[in-house]
Amino acid sequence: MTALEVKLQKAFVPARERKFSLNAEFSAPAEVTVIFGPSGSGKTTILQCIAGLVKPDAGRIAIAGDAVFDSEKRVDLSPQQRRTGYVFQDLALFPHMTAADNVAFGVRVNGAERTRLVRDVLERFRISHVAGQKPGEISGGERQRVALARALVTQPKVLLLDEPFSALDDALKQAIITDLKAWLAQQSIPVLFVTHDRGEAEALGDRMLLLHEGQIEKQEHPSSIQIS
Amino acid sequence: MNWQALALTAKLASLTSLVLMLISIPIALWLAFSPRRWKFFLEAVVGLPIVLPPTVIGLYLLMAFGSATALGQWYVRTVGSTLAFSFGGLVIASVLYSLPFAVNPIAAGFRSVDQKLIDAARTLGVRQFKIYWQIVLPLAWPALVTGMVLSFAHTVGEFGVVLMVGGNIPGVTRTLSIDIYDQVQSLNYSAANQTAVVLLVFSYALLCLVYGLNRRMFTFGGR
Repeated sequence: MTALEVKLQKAFVPARERKFSLNAEFSAPAEVTVIFGPSGSGKTTILQCIAGLVKPDAGRIAIAGDAVFDSEKRVDLSPQQRRTGYVFQDLALFPHMTAADNVAFGVRVNGAERTRLVRDVLERFRISHVAGQKPGEISGGERQRVALARALVTQPKVLLLDEPFSALDDALKQAIITDLKAWLAQQSIPVLFVTHDRGEAEALGDRMLLLHEGQIEKQEHPSSIQIS
Repeated sequence: MNWQALALTAKLASLTSLVLMLISIPIALWLAFSPRRWKFFLEAVVGLPIVLPPTVIGLYLLMAFGSATALGQWYVRTVGSTLAFSFGGLVIASVLYSLPFAVNPIAAGFRSVDQKLIDAARTLGVRQFKIYWQIVLPLAWPALVTGMVLSFAHTVGEFGVVLMVGGNIPGVTRTLSIDIYDQVQSLNYSAANQTAVVLLVFSYALLCLVYGLNRRMFTFGGR
């Protein structure tokens, strides 16, 4: 069983901004698949369709074999039902909550188990020292780690990363990627990683999809792909 | 200064603001987040008191709750008095009349919450009610205070609808604005001026609070 199957068509609105529509079909096993392409090629829209934040015009999306969207069978699960972990480009941390509360927000269990889960993930991503601080009071790298911890603590079936490292310097980026890889080594879930940074793609990706004007042009290993 | 009218006005405005908070939050949530295309019909209904003369609202309330109507008979059975010339009638009229002053700023506050935050919460599997309660409401709190303050101030300044529905009964329906009108009718300008100055200073202070909060709302947050 493929961990993630995607086949979708989506016209961009308003159409005058982009002369093409999104028409993507691919499958992703339980490894890191990089979606690489220029700005405006539809990378983020693919993630939004998988998460249920944007509805495709047609197609089918299945996570772990279960259809979360199927236009023919009229299946369209809400984002809450899809169990995706989504790290937004601007992180979208809740500004009025502490780092610990951000991480705990999506945890479904209560009491001691909830406390343990949150504590463990904070330790795992080395942010225990900022647990009581709000996003506006911590560094960019720490915010990045909080966003990752928040997405992963819910044990998603697929992880969607929308250029989350674009604002970090190389050393910080590498440190976070190392921690993320260590986490993913134990999870066995598909990860879709949107980026336009070749270095990030090679550092984290196992395979790469090259997206151009809404179409997947190539599927290869990140280090072997030739980008025109 | 008519202290009895002042106390009655404060009681009316407080009760009206409280009721408005309870009904405005769900209405504003729906207006802010519903994808329905026809929601402008409800927006227009909520906004009607801004453009309608208060006498029109008063007239239709009196007709709707008259003793000949089912609604009026139900009201008398439930409350024990008619809507006209009663404090309860004043509260209902004030709630209707001040509805846009509560709903509009609150809905604007809800709309100003970053959609990404709501999307992030949805992908975490969090139920819609919890998203509203723990993300939208806390981030839009200045808008809630603005809505409450504006509806309070607007109720304090009501005249036409109060006169239509409540008349002028001391201790029951005579509010400060009616009292000023009475004083002027009896050519007692000094007493009218005393009350008017109190209302002027009070209204100015409330508006300062509203504008101060609005500044805070647009500088709040950050990642």
